[in-house]
Amino acid sequence: TGPSNPPSPAGSSPPGPVPEGLIRVYSMRFCPYAHRTRLVLRAKGIRHEVININLRNKPEWYYTKHPFGQIPVLENSKCQLIYESVIACEYLDDAYPGRKLYPYDPYERARQKMLLELFYKVPYLTKECLVAIRCGRECADLKLALRQEFCNLEEILGYQNTIFFGGDCISMIDYLFWPWFERLDVYGIADCLNHTPALRLWTAAMKQDPTVCALLIDRNIFLGFLNLYFQNNPDAFDFGLTC
Amino acid sequence: QGRDRRRVSPAGSAPPGPVPEGLIRVYSMRFCPFAQRTLLVLKAKGIGHEIININLKNKPEWFFKKNPLGLVPVLENSQGQLIYESAITCEYLDEAYPGKKLLPDDPYEKACQKMVFELFSKVPPLVTRFVRRQNNEDGSGIKEELRKEFTKLEEVLTNKKTAFFGGNSLSMIDYLIWPWFERLEVLELNECTDHTPKLKLWMAAMREDPAVSALLIEAKALRGFLDLYLQNSPEACDYGL
Repeated sequence: TGPSNPPSPAGSSPPGPVPEGLIRVYSMRFCPYAHRTRLVLRAKGIRHEVININLRNKPEWYYTKHPFGQIPVLENSKCQLIYESVIACEYLDDAYPGRKLYPYDPYERARQKMLLELFYKVPYLTKECLVAIRCGRECADLKLALRQEFCNLEEILGYQNTIFFGGDCISMIDYLFWPWFERLDVYGIADCLNHTPALRLWTAAMKQDPTVCALLIDRNIFLGFLNLYFQNNPDAFDFGLTC
Repeated sequence: QGRDRRRVSPAGSAPPGPVPEGLIRVYSMRFCPFAQRTLLVLKAKGIGHEIININLKNKPEWFFKKNPLGLVPVLENSQGQLIYESAITCEYLDEAYPGKKLLPDDPYEKACQKMVFELFSKVPPLVTRFVRRQNNEDGSGIKEELRKEFTKLEEVLTNKKTAFFGGNSLSMIDYLIWPWFERLEVLELNECTDHTPKLKLWMAAMREDPAVSALLIEAKALRGFLDLYLQNSPEACDYGL
Protein backbone atom coordinates (compact mmCIF):
# COMPACT_ATOMS: atom_id res chain seq x y z
CA THR A 1 0.00 0.00 0.00
CA GLY A 2 1.14 3.57 -0.53
CA PRO A 3 -0.09 7.11 -0.57
CA SER A 4 -1.27 6.83 -4.19
CA ASN A 5 -3.42 3.78 -3.74
CA PRO A 6 -7.01 3.90 -4.85
CA PRO A 7 -9.31 4.28 -1.89
CA SER A 8 -10.84 1.21 -0.35
CA PRO A 9 -14.35 1.08 -1.75
CA ALA A 10 -17.50 -0.02 -0.01
CA GLY A 11 -17.76 -3.81 0.03
CA SER A 12 -14.01 -4.32 0.22
CA SER A 13 -12.71 -6.71 2.84
CA PRO A 14 -10.96 -5.34 5.94
CA PRO A 15 -7.20 -4.99 5.75
CA GLY A 16 -5.08 -7.43 7.74
CA PRO A 17 -3.08 -6.56 10.83
CA VAL A 18 -0.36 -3.96 10.56
CA PRO A 19 3.06 -5.59 10.08
CA GLU A 20 5.58 -5.09 12.88
CA GLY A 21 7.87 -2.17 12.29
CA LEU A 22 5.22 -0.19 10.44
CA ILE A 23 2.37 2.06 11.45
CA ARG A 24 -0.71 2.42 9.30
CA VAL A 25 -2.62 5.62 8.58
CA TYR A 26 -6.15 5.59 7.24
CA SER A 27 -6.23 8.67 5.08
CA MET A 28 -7.55 10.40 1.96
CA ARG A 29 -5.19 12.09 -0.46
CA PHE A 30 -6.88 15.50 -0.33
CA CYS A 31 -8.00 15.68 3.29
CA PRO A 32 -6.25 18.50 5.22
CA TYR A 33 -6.62 16.77 8.61
CA ALA A 34 -5.00 13.58 7.33
CA HIS A 35 -2.39 15.76 5.66
CA ARG A 36 -1.23 16.85 9.14
CA THR A 37 -0.55 13.27 10.14
CA ARG A 38 1.22 12.47 6.87
CA LEU A 39 3.45 15.53 7.35
CA VAL A 40 4.49 14.32 10.81
CA LEU A 41 5.10 10.77 9.58
CA ARG A 42 7.33 12.15 6.86
CA ALA A 43 9.09 14.76 9.01
CA LYS A 44 10.06 12.11 11.55
CA GLY A 45 10.97 9.52 8.94
CA ILE A 46 8.47 7.03 10.36
CA ARG A 47 7.95 3.89 8.25
CA HIS A 48 4.27 3.67 7.48
CA GLU A 49 1.64 2.34 5.13
CA VAL A 50 -1.33 4.35 3.87
CA ILE A 51 -4.83 3.03 3.30
CA ASN A 52 -7.00 5.60 1.56
CA ILE A 53 -10.70 5.63 2.36
CA ASN A 54 -13.43 6.67 -0.08
CA LEU A 55 -15.19 9.17 2.15
CA ARG A 56 -18.35 9.21 0.02
CA ASN A 57 -18.65 5.45 0.07
CA LYS A 58 -16.99 4.12 3.21
CA PRO A 59 -16.40 0.41 3.60
CA GLU A 60 -18.37 -1.11 6.49
CA TRP A 61 -15.19 -2.35 8.17
CA TYR A 62 -13.90 1.20 8.51
CA TYR A 63 -16.39 1.90 11.30
CA THR A 64 -14.45 -0.62 13.41
CA LYS A 65 -11.48 1.74 13.11
CA HIS A 66 -13.38 4.97 13.86
CA PRO A 67 -16.92 5.12 15.32
CA PHE A 68 -17.98 7.81 12.84
CA GLY A 69 -15.78 6.72 9.94
CA GLN A 70 -13.58 9.81 10.08
CA ILE A 71 -9.94 10.14 9.03
CA PRO A 72 -7.11 10.23 9.89
CA VAL A 73 -6.76 7.17 12.10
CA LEU A 74 -3.48 5.55 13.08
CA GLU A 75 -3.27 1.80 13.65
CA ASN A 76 -0.14 0.15 14.96
CA SER A 77 0.99 -3.46 15.00
CA LYS A 78 -0.51 -3.88 18.49
CA CYS A 79 -3.92 -3.05 16.97
CA GLN A 80 -4.03 0.21 18.93
CA LEU A 81 -6.11 2.90 17.21
CA ILE A 82 -5.50 6.63 17.62
CA TYR A 83 -7.66 9.36 16.15
CA GLU A 84 -8.28 13.06 15.99
CA SER A 85 -5.53 14.51 13.82
CA VAL A 86 -3.88 16.51 16.61
CA ILE A 87 -3.88 13.56 18.99
CA ALA A 88 -2.40 11.34 16.25
CA CYS A 89 0.37 13.89 15.55
CA GLU A 90 1.27 14.17 19.24
CA TYR A 91 1.23 10.38 19.59
CA LEU A 92 3.72 10.04 16.73
CA ASP A 93 6.00 12.67 18.24
CA ASP A 94 5.90 10.92 21.63
CA ALA A 95 6.16 7.33 20.39
CA TYR A 96 8.91 7.65 17.82
CA PRO A 97 12.53 8.61 18.31
CA GLY A 98 14.54 11.10 16.35
CA ARG A 99 13.63 14.66 15.63
CA LYS A 100 11.11 16.05 18.15
CA LEU A 101 8.54 18.31 16.53
CA TYR A 102 7.08 19.64 19.77
CA PRO A 103 9.55 21.59 21.94
CA TYR A 104 10.92 20.01 25.13
CA ASP A 105 10.24 23.05 27.30
CA PRO A 106 6.82 22.79 28.99
CA TYR A 107 6.06 26.48 28.46
CA GLU A 108 7.02 26.35 24.77
CA ARG A 109 4.86 23.24 24.36
CA ALA A 110 1.95 25.05 26.01
CA ARG A 111 2.55 28.03 23.75
CA GLN A 112 2.19 25.85 20.63
CA LYS A 113 -1.05 24.42 22.00
CA MET A 114 -2.37 27.92 22.73
CA LEU A 115 -1.50 28.90 19.14
CA LEU A 116 -3.47 25.96 17.87
CA GLU A 117 -6.54 27.29 19.72
CA LEU A 118 -6.11 30.57 17.82
CA PHE A 119 -6.35 28.66 14.56
CA TYR A 120 -9.63 26.85 15.18
CA LYS A 121 -11.88 28.94 12.90
CA VAL A 122 -9.61 28.60 9.86
CA PRO A 123 -10.60 25.07 8.71
CA TYR A 124 -14.31 25.89 8.92
CA LEU A 125 -13.94 29.24 7.11
CA THR A 126 -11.73 27.92 4.30
CA LYS A 127 -14.13 25.06 3.68
CA GLU A 128 -17.15 27.37 3.67
CA CYS A 129 -15.42 29.67 1.15
CA LEU A 130 -14.63 26.69 -1.08
CA VAL A 131 -18.21 25.44 -1.00
CA ALA A 132 -19.65 28.93 -1.57
CA ILE A 133 -17.41 29.60 -4.57
CA ARG A 134 -18.03 26.16 -6.07
CA CYS A 135 -21.77 26.59 -5.67
CA GLY A 136 -21.65 30.07 -7.20
CA ARG A 137 -22.60 31.82 -3.97
CA GLU A 138 -21.40 35.13 -2.52
CA CYS A 139 -18.64 34.71 0.04
CA ALA A 140 -17.37 38.22 0.76
CA ASP A 141 -18.32 37.95 4.44
CA LEU A 142 -16.62 34.59 4.81
CA LYS A 143 -13.45 35.91 3.18
CA LEU A 144 -13.52 38.92 5.47
CA ALA A 145 -13.79 36.64 8.49
CA LEU A 146 -10.92 34.52 7.18
CA ARG A 147 -8.77 37.60 6.63
CA GLN A 148 -9.45 38.58 10.25
CA GLU A 149 -8.19 35.19 11.43
CA PHE A 150 -5.10 35.64 9.27
CA CYS A 151 -4.55 39.08 10.85
CA ASN A 152 -4.51 37.43 14.28
CA LEU A 153 -1.87 34.99 13.10
CA GLU A 154 0.07 37.84 11.47
CA GLU A 155 0.14 39.64 14.84
CA ILE A 156 1.67 36.59 16.47
CA LEU A 157 4.46 36.43 13.90
CA GLY A 158 5.03 40.16 14.30
CA TYR A 159 5.12 39.99 18.08
CA GLN A 160 7.46 36.97 18.08
CA ASN A 161 9.60 38.30 15.25
CA THR A 162 10.29 34.73 14.09
CA ILE A 163 9.88 33.11 10.70
CA PHE A 164 7.92 30.12 11.95
CA PHE A 165 5.20 29.90 14.58
CA GLY A 166 7.40 27.98 17.02
CA GLY A 167 10.59 29.99 16.50
CA ASP A 168 13.24 30.14 13.81
CA CYS A 169 12.92 26.48 12.88
CA ILE A 170 9.86 24.68 11.62
CA SER A 171 8.06 22.69 14.29
CA MET A 172 4.79 20.92 15.06
CA ILE A 173 2.54 23.98 15.08
CA ASP A 174 3.66 24.93 11.55
CA TYR A 175 2.80 21.45 10.24
CA LEU A 176 -0.57 21.58 12.01
CA PHE A 177 -1.43 24.88 10.25
CA TRP A 178 0.07 24.14 6.86
CA PRO A 179 -2.57 22.00 5.07
CA TRP A 180 -5.12 24.83 4.97
CA PHE A 181 -2.60 27.34 3.65
CA GLU A 182 -1.52 24.93 0.91
CA ARG A 183 -5.16 24.77 -0.19
CA LEU A 184 -5.84 28.54 -0.37
CA ASP A 185 -4.78 28.76 -4.02
CA VAL A 186 -6.70 25.70 -5.22
CA TYR A 187 -9.78 26.82 -3.25
CA GLY A 188 -9.59 30.20 -5.02
CA ILE A 189 -8.96 32.32 -1.93
CA ALA A 190 -5.23 33.03 -2.04
CA ASP A 191 -6.05 36.74 -2.04
CA CYS A 192 -6.99 36.42 1.65
CA LEU A 193 -3.26 36.67 2.34
CA ASN A 194 -2.98 40.06 0.60
CA HIS A 195 -2.74 42.06 3.82
CA THR A 196 -0.55 39.69 5.82
CA PRO A 197 3.06 39.90 4.62
CA ALA A 198 4.61 37.91 7.49
CA LEU A 199 2.15 35.11 6.85
CA ARG A 200 3.08 35.19 3.15
CA LEU A 201 6.74 34.92 4.12
CA TRP A 202 5.84 32.00 6.34
CA THR A 203 4.08 30.17 3.48
CA ALA A 204 7.13 30.76 1.27
CA ALA A 205 9.41 29.40 3.98
CA MET A 206 7.10 26.41 4.45
CA LYS A 207 7.31 25.59 0.74
CA GLN A 208 11.08 25.35 1.18
CA ASP A 209 10.71 22.69 3.85
CA PRO A 210 11.63 19.22 2.48
CA THR A 211 8.71 17.54 4.23
CA VAL A 212 6.15 20.04 2.98
CA CYS A 213 7.64 19.82 -0.52
CA ALA A 214 7.58 16.05 -0.61
CA LEU A 215 3.84 16.01 0.13
CA LEU A 216 2.77 19.01 -1.96
CA ILE A 217 -0.33 18.06 -3.87
CA ASP A 218 -0.19 18.64 -7.61
CA ARG A 219 -2.41 21.61 -8.40
CA ASN A 220 -4.07 20.10 -11.47
CA ILE A 221 -4.80 16.82 -9.76
CA PHE A 222 -6.31 18.68 -6.81
CA LEU A 223 -8.46 20.76 -9.16
CA GLY A 224 -9.53 17.62 -10.97
CA PHE A 225 -10.55 16.04 -7.67
CA LEU A 226 -12.47 19.15 -6.60
CA ASN A 227 -14.31 19.30 -9.93
CA LEU A 228 -15.47 15.69 -9.64
CA TYR A 229 -16.19 16.02 -5.91
CA PHE A 230 -18.52 18.94 -6.47
CA GLN A 231 -20.28 17.09 -9.23
CA ASN A 232 -20.87 14.33 -6.66
CA ASN A 233 -18.94 11.97 -8.85
CA PRO A 234 -18.07 8.84 -6.82
CA ASP A 235 -14.83 8.48 -8.78
CA ALA A 236 -13.56 11.82 -7.42
CA PHE A 237 -11.33 10.10 -4.90
CA ASP A 238 -9.55 8.13 -7.61
CA PHE A 239 -8.79 11.18 -9.72
CA GLY A 240 -5.22 11.34 -10.94
CA LEU A 241 -4.29 7.79 -10.04
CA THR A 242 -2.75 5.68 -12.75
CA CYS A 243 -3.37 1.99 -12.14
CA GLN B 1 -15.21 26.86 47.38
CA GLY B 2 -13.18 24.67 49.69
CA ARG B 3 -11.07 26.98 51.74
CA ASP B 4 -10.68 29.71 49.13
CA ARG B 5 -12.30 32.84 50.45
CA ARG B 6 -10.52 35.35 48.29
CA ARG B 7 -12.69 38.18 47.10
CA VAL B 8 -12.47 39.11 43.46
CA SER B 9 -10.10 41.84 42.33
CA PRO B 10 -12.23 44.98 42.32
CA ALA B 11 -12.97 46.94 39.14
CA GLY B 12 -10.41 49.67 38.60
CA SER B 13 -7.89 47.75 40.69
CA ALA B 14 -4.20 48.02 39.90
CA PRO B 15 -2.63 45.01 38.23
CA PRO B 16 -1.06 42.54 40.65
CA GLY B 17 2.71 42.50 41.02
CA PRO B 18 5.04 39.81 39.74
CA VAL B 19 4.65 36.26 41.01
CA PRO B 20 7.09 35.46 43.82
CA GLU B 21 9.74 32.85 43.06
CA GLY B 22 8.74 29.38 44.15
CA LEU B 23 5.05 29.99 43.53
CA ILE B 24 2.81 29.88 40.52
CA ARG B 25 -0.25 32.10 40.30
CA VAL B 26 -3.65 31.05 38.98
CA TYR B 27 -6.25 33.58 37.93
CA SER B 28 -9.45 31.82 38.82
CA MET B 29 -13.06 32.15 40.00
CA ARG B 30 -14.36 30.08 42.88
CA PHE B 31 -17.30 28.57 40.98
CA CYS B 32 -15.81 28.14 37.50
CA PRO B 33 -15.59 24.45 36.43
CA PHE B 34 -12.79 25.16 33.96
CA ALA B 35 -10.66 26.85 36.62
CA GLN B 36 -11.47 23.99 38.97
CA ARG B 37 -9.56 21.66 36.63
CA THR B 38 -6.40 23.69 37.20
CA LEU B 39 -6.96 23.93 40.95
CA LEU B 40 -7.43 20.15 41.13
CA VAL B 41 -4.11 19.55 39.39
CA LEU B 42 -2.33 22.12 41.58
CA LYS B 43 -3.75 20.35 44.63
CA ALA B 44 -3.11 16.81 43.41
CA LYS B 45 0.52 17.59 42.62
CA GLY B 46 1.08 19.65 45.77
CA ILE B 47 2.24 22.69 43.78
CA GLY B 48 2.71 25.87 45.81
CA HIS B 49 0.43 28.48 44.33
CA GLU B 50 -1.44 31.72 44.91
CA ILE B 51 -4.95 32.44 43.67
CA ILE B 52 -6.31 35.71 42.32
CA ASN B 53 -10.05 35.52 41.74
CA ILE B 54 -11.50 37.49 38.85
CA ASN B 55 -14.99 38.99 38.73
CA LEU B 56 -16.17 37.51 35.45
CA LYS B 57 -19.11 39.95 35.42
CA ASN B 58 -16.84 42.98 35.84
CA LYS B 59 -13.35 42.14 34.63
CA PRO B 60 -10.49 44.46 35.49
CA GLU B 61 -8.82 45.97 32.40
CA TRP B 62 -5.43 44.52 33.34
CA PHE B 63 -6.80 40.98 33.15
CA PHE B 64 -6.93 41.18 29.34
CA LYS B 65 -3.12 41.51 29.40
CA LYS B 66 -3.02 38.12 31.11
CA ASN B 67 -5.40 36.51 28.63
CA PRO B 68 -6.64 38.47 25.59
CA LEU B 69 -9.81 36.37 25.70
CA GLY B 70 -10.43 37.53 29.29
CA LEU B 71 -11.20 34.00 30.49
CA VAL B 72 -10.12 32.02 33.53
CA PRO B 73 -8.12 29.98 34.32
CA VAL B 74 -4.78 31.58 33.51
CA LEU B 75 -1.43 30.54 35.00
CA GLU B 76 1.35 33.04 35.56
CA ASN B 77 4.77 31.96 36.76
CA SER B 78 7.61 33.95 38.29
CA GLN B 79 9.17 34.35 34.84
CA GLY B 80 6.04 36.22 33.77
CA GLN B 81 5.02 33.40 31.39
CA LEU B 82 1.27 33.13 30.87
CA ILE B 83 -0.62 29.95 30.04
CA TYR B 84 -4.34 29.73 29.36
CA GLU B 85 -7.03 27.28 28.21
CA SER B 86 -7.77 24.96 31.13
CA ALA B 87 -6.59 21.71 29.53
CA ILE B 88 -3.36 23.37 28.41
CA THR B 89 -2.73 24.72 31.94
CA CYS B 90 -3.21 21.24 33.40
CA GLU B 91 -0.82 19.60 30.98
CA TYR B 92 1.73 22.38 31.55
CA LEU B 93 1.63 21.82 35.32
CA ASP B 94 2.06 18.08 34.89
CA GLU B 95 5.10 18.57 32.65
CA ALA B 96 6.73 21.47 34.51
CA TYR B 97 6.45 20.15 38.07
CA PRO B 98 7.94 17.03 39.64
CA GLY B 99 6.12 14.47 41.70
CA LYS B 100 3.22 12.27 40.72
CA LYS B 101 2.59 12.34 36.96
CA LEU B 102 -1.10 12.69 36.18
CA LEU B 103 -0.70 11.96 32.50
CA PRO B 104 0.70 8.54 31.58
CA ASP B 105 4.20 8.21 30.16
CA ASP B 106 3.06 5.65 27.60
CA PRO B 107 2.25 7.52 24.36
CA TYR B 108 -0.76 5.35 23.56
CA GLU B 109 -2.24 5.62 27.06
CA LYS B 110 -1.73 9.39 26.90
CA ALA B 111 -3.46 9.50 23.50
CA CYS B 112 -6.34 7.46 24.97
CA GLN B 113 -6.83 10.08 27.71
CA LYS B 114 -7.00 12.76 25.03
CA MET B 115 -9.50 10.72 23.01
CA VAL B 116 -11.72 10.36 26.09
CA PHE B 117 -11.39 14.12 26.62
CA GLU B 118 -12.73 14.64 23.08
CA LEU B 119 -15.57 12.21 23.84
CA PHE B 120 -16.48 14.35 26.86
CA SER B 121 -16.31 17.65 24.96
CA LYS B 122 -20.05 18.01 24.29
CA VAL B 123 -20.89 17.88 28.02
CA PRO B 124 -19.80 21.41 29.10
CA PRO B 125 -21.80 23.23 26.38
CA LEU B 126 -24.84 21.03 27.10
CA VAL B 127 -24.68 21.83 30.81
CA THR B 128 -24.32 25.53 29.99
CA ARG B 129 -27.34 25.37 27.68
CA PHE B 130 -29.34 23.66 30.41
CA VAL B 131 -28.36 26.23 33.02
CA ARG B 132 -29.13 29.16 30.73
CA ARG B 133 -32.43 27.88 29.41
CA GLN B 134 -35.39 30.18 29.77
CA ASN B 135 -37.98 29.44 32.44
CA ASN B 136 -40.52 28.05 30.03
CA GLU B 137 -38.14 25.55 28.41
CA ASP B 138 -38.46 22.21 30.12
CA GLY B 139 -34.90 21.01 29.43
CA SER B 140 -35.90 17.42 28.69
CA GLY B 141 -34.33 17.58 25.25
CA ILE B 142 -31.03 18.68 26.74
CA LYS B 143 -31.26 15.95 29.39
CA GLU B 144 -31.72 13.39 26.64
CA GLU B 145 -28.64 14.65 24.86
CA LEU B 146 -26.68 14.53 28.12
CA ARG B 147 -27.78 10.94 28.68
CA LYS B 148 -26.37 10.08 25.24
CA GLU B 149 -23.03 11.66 26.10
CA PHE B 150 -22.93 9.86 29.45
CA THR B 151 -23.62 6.57 27.68
CA LYS B 152 -20.46 7.09 25.61
CA LEU B 153 -18.47 7.57 28.80
CA GLU B 154 -20.10 4.51 30.39
CA GLU B 155 -18.93 2.51 27.36
CA VAL B 156 -15.35 3.61 27.97
CA LEU B 157 -15.48 2.33 31.55
CA THR B 158 -17.14 -0.89 30.37
CA ASN B 159 -14.52 -1.52 27.68
CA LYS B 160 -11.59 -0.65 29.92
CA LYS B 161 -12.96 -2.61 32.90
CA THR B 162 -11.34 -0.08 35.23
CA ALA B 163 -12.70 2.16 37.99
CA PHE B 164 -11.29 5.34 36.49
CA PHE B 165 -11.04 6.71 32.97
CA GLY B 166 -7.29 6.24 32.77
CA GLY B 167 -7.02 2.90 34.54
CA ASN B 168 -7.33 1.67 38.09
CA SER B 169 -5.96 4.83 39.65
CA LEU B 170 -7.24 8.33 39.29
CA SER B 171 -5.36 10.38 36.68
CA MET B 172 -5.54 13.53 34.58
CA ILE B 173 -8.62 12.67 32.52
CA ASP B 174 -10.68 12.08 35.70
CA TYR B 175 -9.76 15.52 37.06
CA LEU B 176 -10.49 17.17 33.71
CA ILE B 177 -14.07 15.90 33.54
CA TRP B 178 -14.92 15.89 37.27
CA PRO B 179 -16.11 19.53 37.74
CA TRP B 180 -19.21 18.98 35.58
CA PHE B 181 -20.13 15.77 37.40
CA GLU B 182 -19.74 17.57 40.73
CA ARG B 183 -22.39 20.05 39.58
CA LEU B 184 -25.00 17.52 38.41
CA GLU B 185 -26.74 17.25 41.77
CA VAL B 186 -27.09 21.00 42.36
CA LEU B 187 -28.30 21.46 38.78
CA GLU B 188 -30.85 18.65 39.24
CA LEU B 189 -29.29 16.65 36.43
CA ASN B 190 -28.41 13.56 38.45
CA GLU B 191 -31.20 11.60 36.76
CA CYS B 192 -29.07 11.69 33.59
CA THR B 193 -26.83 9.10 35.20
CA ASP B 194 -29.68 6.72 36.05
CA HIS B 195 -28.75 4.29 33.30
CA THR B 196 -24.96 4.60 33.70
CA PRO B 197 -24.07 2.61 36.84
CA LYS B 198 -20.31 2.58 36.27
CA LEU B 199 -20.32 6.35 35.90
CA LYS B 200 -22.19 6.59 39.21
CA LEU B 201 -19.59 4.39 40.88
CA TRP B 202 -16.86 6.54 39.38
CA MET B 203 -18.50 9.69 40.79
CA ALA B 204 -18.58 8.13 44.24
CA ALA B 205 -14.94 7.07 43.94
CA MET B 206 -13.95 10.57 42.84
CA ARG B 207 -15.50 12.11 45.97
CA GLU B 208 -13.07 10.01 48.02
CA ASP B 209 -10.05 11.58 46.34
CA PRO B 210 -8.22 14.06 48.63
CA ALA B 211 -7.86 16.77 45.95
CA VAL B 212 -11.48 16.44 44.85
CA SER B 213 -12.86 16.52 48.38
CA ALA B 214 -10.63 19.44 49.39
CA LEU B 215 -12.09 21.51 46.55
CA LEU B 216 -15.73 20.40 46.77
CA ILE B 217 -18.04 23.37 46.46
CA GLU B 218 -20.84 23.62 48.97
CA ALA B 219 -24.18 23.06 47.21
CA LYS B 220 -25.92 26.13 48.67
CA ALA B 221 -23.05 28.37 47.64
CA LEU B 222 -23.10 27.03 44.10
CA ARG B 223 -26.85 27.55 43.84
CA GLY B 224 -26.57 31.07 45.29
CA PHE B 225 -23.77 31.91 42.86
CA LEU B 226 -25.66 30.53 39.87
CA ASP B 227 -28.83 32.47 40.62
CA LEU B 228 -26.89 35.74 40.82
CA TYR B 229 -24.67 34.87 37.83
CA LEU B 230 -27.66 34.18 35.60
CA GLN B 231 -28.98 37.62 36.53
CA ASN B 232 -25.59 39.05 35.50
CA SER B 233 -25.02 40.34 39.01
CA PRO B 234 -21.51 41.70 39.64
CA GLU B 235 -21.85 40.27 43.17
CA ALA B 236 -22.16 36.67 41.94
CA CYS B 237 -18.48 35.71 41.98
CA ASP B 238 -18.10 36.73 45.65
CA TYR B 239 -21.22 34.84 46.75
CA GLY B 240 -21.00 33.58 50.31
CA LEU B 241 -18.07 35.78 51.33
